[in-house]
Amino acid sequence: MSAAWPILLVLGIALAEPISRWLAAASWAERDPVGALVLWQAIGLAGGLSLLGAGVTFALAPLGDGLLDAAGALLDGRVSVLGPFHYVVLAVTVLVAGWLLGVLALITARTLRARRKHRDLLDLLATPWPTASGAHVLDHPVPVAYCLPGPRSRLVVSAGAVTTLAQTELDAVLAHERAHLAERHDLVVLPFVAWGATARRVPGMAAAQRAVATLIEMRADDVAAAETGPAELSAALRAVAGGAETAALTQLSAAITRRLARLDSPPLPLPRPARLAVRLAAVALVAVPTVPLL
Amino acid sequence: MDALWAAPEPMTAREVQDALAERALATTTVLTVLGRLERKGLAARAKEGRAHRYRPTASREDHIAELMRDVLDAAPDRGAALASFLGSVPPGDRSTLRDLLK
Repeated sequence: MSAAWPILLVLGIALAEPISRWLAAASWAERDPVGALVLWQAIGLAGGLSLLGAGVTFALAPLGDGLLDAAGALLDGRVSVLGPFHYVVLAVTVLVAGWLLGVLALITARTLRARRKHRDLLDLLATPWPTASGAHVLDHPVPVAYCLPGPRSRLVVSAGAVTTLAQTELDAVLAHERAHLAERHDLVVLPFVAWGATARRVPGMAAAQRAVATLIEMRADDVAAAETGPAELSAALRAVAGGAETAALTQLSAAITRRLARLDSPPLPLPRPARLAVRLAAVALVAVPTVPLL
Repeated sequence: MDALWAAPEPMTAREVQDALAERALATTTVLTVLGRLERKGLAARAKEGRAHRYRPTASREDHIAELMRDVLDAAPDRGAALASFLGSVPPGDRSTLRDLLK
């Protein structure tokens, strides 16, 4: 098993770069947003495990096969077989792992702080909306709708959205936002936000961040369309995006155009065996770097 | 906070209490709330004679504009603080969106 580290290293690099880029460009993803999101989580987790696992297995290879043997050897006091180079690799691996966890903790804390600040102000400024339970109205003419996720979640529409949208369209928007809240999409994107921020130079990571952000919107669109009808949702999206379109927001409107196209002529969902295969692939991806570590 | 926004001039705790007379609040309650608003940066306090006068740090409209900036600025790398209906805004598009608010 001492030959595990080259495999893990190659797998880690492959996941971070070509595989991420491939999935970000894959056209089947919008036919199964949930499957694609599960696969993204697996890629993130497996990529991290592989790279860190490569470092650990390389450093501890002289102590035996896998971490269990190495732990046994440490208990027996047989650490003298490790050369200085092994210690350096081990130290680097531990540092990288600590850094990744530290960044995740930092971004999480920053997110929670920003959310709490926003919620405090919101509770002071917004008025409860009588016709939709739990929704608040913010007195501003630009049409927006959004939610603050978390245990003390808030659902907000601007006065501009209330006047611009028909009641059925508003219902569709609220269904979309409620899907974000119910499925905790904020937690789905959080690791990609955090680690994307640390590895901005890696195109695969940036692509992953964008792809995950688009996929959660598509997933919320699917939930809302099933609840209120795709026509209402796409009308609402057109109305709210109106200002953005005229302001020539090239990247944002590209993402919105894709969502609109999906609502107007929904792509065929992936066939059942393919959906199953995607989920099995996700499980296998996480298992591959985990097994040689043991 | 509504009382502070409605008043043309900075108010003492006493005046806030009078403005909210129909709620029959105790002076200590008013002081506690004013202290909390100050800690959150929503109100500022200035000593005048023996009393403190409180004024809002920004108008209601300014605060609403601040919230709207949060929404329209919801870039993917700013964290998962909130989820806008339009989705997250790529960096290149952010300044254009901000112009919409002016």
